[in-house]
Amino acid sequence: MSKDTMQILHAKDMGKESSRSRVMGILVQALTYAFLLLMALIVLFPFYWMIISSLKTLDEYRLNTPTFWPRVIMFSNYLEAFTAAKLGRLFINTMYVGLVSTLLSLVITVLSAFAFARLEFKGKNALFAALLATMMIPGELFTITNYQTVTTFGWINTYTVLIVPFLVSIFYIYLLRQNFLQIPNELYLAAKVDGTSDLKYLWKVMVPLALPTLISITILKMMGAWNSYIWPRLVANDEAHRLITNGLRNAFTTTSGDVNYPVQMAAVALVSAPLFLVFIFLRKYIMSGVSRSGIKG
Amino acid sequence: MMKKIIAMLLLLAVLMTGMTSAFAAETEGYDGSEVTIKFYTAMGARLTPVLDAYIAEFNALYPNIKIEYTADAGYDDVRDQISTEITVGSQPHLAYCYPDHVALYNLAKAVKTLDDFIDSEAVITRADGTTEILGLTAEQKADFIPGYYAEGQQFGDGLMYTLPLSKSTEVLYYNKTFFDENNLKVPTTWAEMEEVCAAIKAIDPESIPMGYDSSSNWFITMCEQYKSPYTSATGDHFLFNNEVNHGFIKMFRDWYQKGYITTQKLYGAYTSGLFVNTTGTRSYMSIGSSAGATYQRPAANADGSYPFEVGIASIPQVDPANPKVISQGPSLCMFKKDNEQEMYATWLFMKFLTTNIGFQAEFSEASGYVPVLKSVAENEYYADLLAKADGGKHIAFLSVKVCLEQADAYYTSPAFNGSSVARDQVGTLLDTCLTIPEGDVDAAIEDAFLDAIDECEYSVF
Amino acid sequence: MVDNKQQWKAWLYLSPCIILLLVFTVWPIINTVRMALLENYSGLKAAGGQVFNFGIGNFTKVIKYRRFVSCLKNTVLLCVWTVPISTILALLIAVALNSIKPLQKALQTIFFLPYVTNSIAIGMVFAAMFNIVGSFYGTENEIVETAGIINNVIEFFGGTHINWINYGSSYTANMVVMVVYIVWNALPFKILVLLGGLQSINKQYYDAAKVDGTSRKRIFSRITVPLLSPMLAYVIITGFIGGFKEYTSIVGIFGETMGPANDAGRLNTMVGFIYDALSTNNQGRASAAALILFGIILVVTLINLQVSKKRVHY
Repeated sequence: MSKDTMQILHAKDMGKESSRSRVMGILVQALTYAFLLLMALIVLFPFYWMIISSLKTLDEYRLNTPTFWPRVIMFSNYLEAFTAAKLGRLFINTMYVGLVSTLLSLVITVLSAFAFARLEFKGKNALFAALLATMMIPGELFTITNYQTVTTFGWINTYTVLIVPFLVSIFYIYLLRQNFLQIPNELYLAAKVDGTSDLKYLWKVMVPLALPTLISITILKMMGAWNSYIWPRLVANDEAHRLITNGLRNAFTTTSGDVNYPVQMAAVALVSAPLFLVFIFLRKYIMSGVSRSGIKG
Repeated sequence: MMKKIIAMLLLLAVLMTGMTSAFAAETEGYDGSEVTIKFYTAMGARLTPVLDAYIAEFNALYPNIKIEYTADAGYDDVRDQISTEITVGSQPHLAYCYPDHVALYNLAKAVKTLDDFIDSEAVITRADGTTEILGLTAEQKADFIPGYYAEGQQFGDGLMYTLPLSKSTEVLYYNKTFFDENNLKVPTTWAEMEEVCAAIKAIDPESIPMGYDSSSNWFITMCEQYKSPYTSATGDHFLFNNEVNHGFIKMFRDWYQKGYITTQKLYGAYTSGLFVNTTGTRSYMSIGSSAGATYQRPAANADGSYPFEVGIASIPQVDPANPKVISQGPSLCMFKKDNEQEMYATWLFMKFLTTNIGFQAEFSEASGYVPVLKSVAENEYYADLLAKADGGKHIAFLSVKVCLEQADAYYTSPAFNGSSVARDQVGTLLDTCLTIPEGDVDAAIEDAFLDAIDECEYSVF
Repeated sequence: MVDNKQQWKAWLYLSPCIILLLVFTVWPIINTVRMALLENYSGLKAAGGQVFNFGIGNFTKVIKYRRFVSCLKNTVLLCVWTVPISTILALLIAVALNSIKPLQKALQTIFFLPYVTNSIAIGMVFAAMFNIVGSFYGTENEIVETAGIINNVIEFFGGTHINWINYGSSYTANMVVMVVYIVWNALPFKILVLLGGLQSINKQYYDAAKVDGTSRKRIFSRITVPLLSPMLAYVIITGFIGGFKEYTSIVGIFGETMGPANDAGRLNTMVGFIYDALSTNNQGRASAAALILFGIILVVTLINLQVSKKRVHY
């Protein structure tokens, strides 16, 4: 009996189950959608609130009964946010730091992941386990000493201090190693027989095969630069090197500490927008990268 | 011709050697060498033009002293950065400071005391040929508003650690229009304050008659006004758990329960927000920073007028004959450096900023802070500004004017390792006690005091 | 087996990573242990030339501190509530997403949005949503100007407004807000991982189950969950590790008072405790607290791994 006829027979069997299960199916689908839409609404609400707040006048924002739609739409808040926070400079700083640190970080990550995935050396597993263990340590514990270290190096208020201390991410190495492990070892051995150098093999075979993961890492790293707050505030809070989140925090507080919330919300929205766009267009890579990080292997 | 030139050169050479030998003979003072002074401020970009202008003026006198400053960090950022830099020896030369910051830096004995500079009579020749003595002249010393100057000596050993740069205090903002309409008298004592609150509550039951921004300042100022112990820089540090303090806390709790008062923490925002409200819940008095006067002014109407006029007065007192108001705002402190010339140069610059009437006047105009010199008020330009003071457009000058009139009332509390924690704790203590619900109030107050003392003791090491 | 050339090469490739780790990870760890064991160590005092005794004084001082237990309790409670709730919700959403065709991509995008935001900024939005504007709660002079959007919704459905985060609010109400916010924040990562896992499950399992006429419930508990168990274990373990480091989310809602105005520090966590010690420049105590936190995370993770070893099907 062919496969097709098997399936047809099955379908007939199922058909006997009567339309009851089909109704059930539709009901379940409806419920599923209802649940998802409700959750989506809850997830979206804070964003909605942020955007309408960003379009309100300060008076309306302070209104006793909140309005769900701004009475007067104040697009000028966005303009004010852009100029008040000197967003241009902040964007450039953040892009620069993000790009350079991503590039360097990728090189280090690829080399390390390759060593862990393909090369044999003494103490490999112990070292890898030790690296993974450091992920559990609260970051604050590093901050205290690292701040002293970079001060000793004279790195305060430079791009270096924003880039170098965070080039190594165990998480990315782990992510990429898992990816490399999935590439059959035979390819590597064959390449060795052909006399291909490691670096060439890495560049020509492994990197292309792991491209989705590398793109995910790039995006995550860029997002990191975009959202980092505590460290940059500590070590590079001058105008020339300040990053976007810190710029946001400082820009709207007046000497008496009053904050123009709508303008601040506008700035938050402006700053979040590039991330949203990147995410919407490159969603596939982020998803595949992060989901690959499951603890298989 | 040639002879003339040679003669000139000779003369110049003689002069030069004469000058250098004069400097070499000098045991103290700045010798004209090239130094760069790192100066951390928290003044913000808005005020840097004033600083730039006066750095230029200073450099006309001392061209070899280069000033590099930072302006875009907050007070806490400056403190945190310096306290780390001290541990690796890379602290700046000069910085904005509060007494609590200095107490922190003193853990590392990193702050240079100023007494030797202040008392020095060494003569310094400036680039334009004029001279000045290194220290402060008697007139300069006497020109400082005493309460501000005394802040530099609050560290338990009587030594001078800081010079005041520009100051602020707390003032009472009141809705003058409302007070006039209802024939209310601006309270000068806390007893009067209670009566006024009751009267306002009777007129507008929906209101919160008075808002006080800083709970910490309120507690500390009450201690000062009652002459009851708060903290001490020496011996037992935390002395604020006493009967008098329990007493005023309980009184304010009653006020709170009657709906008379609120604080920034309890209200959830600066109480100026309540004060400038023209609809809904509002307050008719607000005690806040004198430097924030423009935030105590309601939004202007379309024609540029204001919905109500703001009045500014000194805060209420326990004993009006012996008034006490807190002194706040930045001072300058100098850090120890191996190179003595850098310290002399730093001293010259900090002396310049704190004693230059032009700088003090312009900085005050731009910032809303109070100048630290009495004679600034006599400065023609500045006197013109003060003459314009009103409860609307020129409210910032009105605030400065009130501050200058109470020049003898300023106090500062002792600064030591743990003083900043005490400050935070008494603020929290006040907020906590105000909201104690009906029941055994005395026991709850006692518990809150013990908790606060515990936190303070824990923080000292 | 291990040839020398590979040894040499491996260490060469790893060298940038290792050098950076030595400077920015290993040294801080060593330094932390050193500071934790020097009694009352303070970087500033050390710079002033003070010598410190060697001992465990920092640890005893930290453990005896009256707020230590409450910090620990808050941290543990937040973990115990948020990790299961967010995991179950994420699982339900992931399964639901996986079962639909139209709108799947759009919804997937929406559910990931919280991941690409700044937690302090969104914290401010949440705080505004729960905030009551008013005064004198709990006294006869109580004034409520606006109860906040969340309370407006509750009132719309006939409830009475609740004091969520303002002074006089209950510990339970505070915790509910924190749990909601943290779950909201934690969902996207978990949904992503779980959905990725679901999509990689071989369809044949489900086809086989359909043939056998297995009920949906049974398919979920007998196929989906077991096959998803590695991902579930992963999100639970990372969830616990993240939960024990909770701090910024509380700053986002309550500000640095870490609690309602009348009870500052009520919601303080272990990490907040470390920052408190740092802000008084007592690196010794901060380090001791950090090591205690590390110890706790280590133990919890080991337990997690032990449990998952028995439950996870690879």
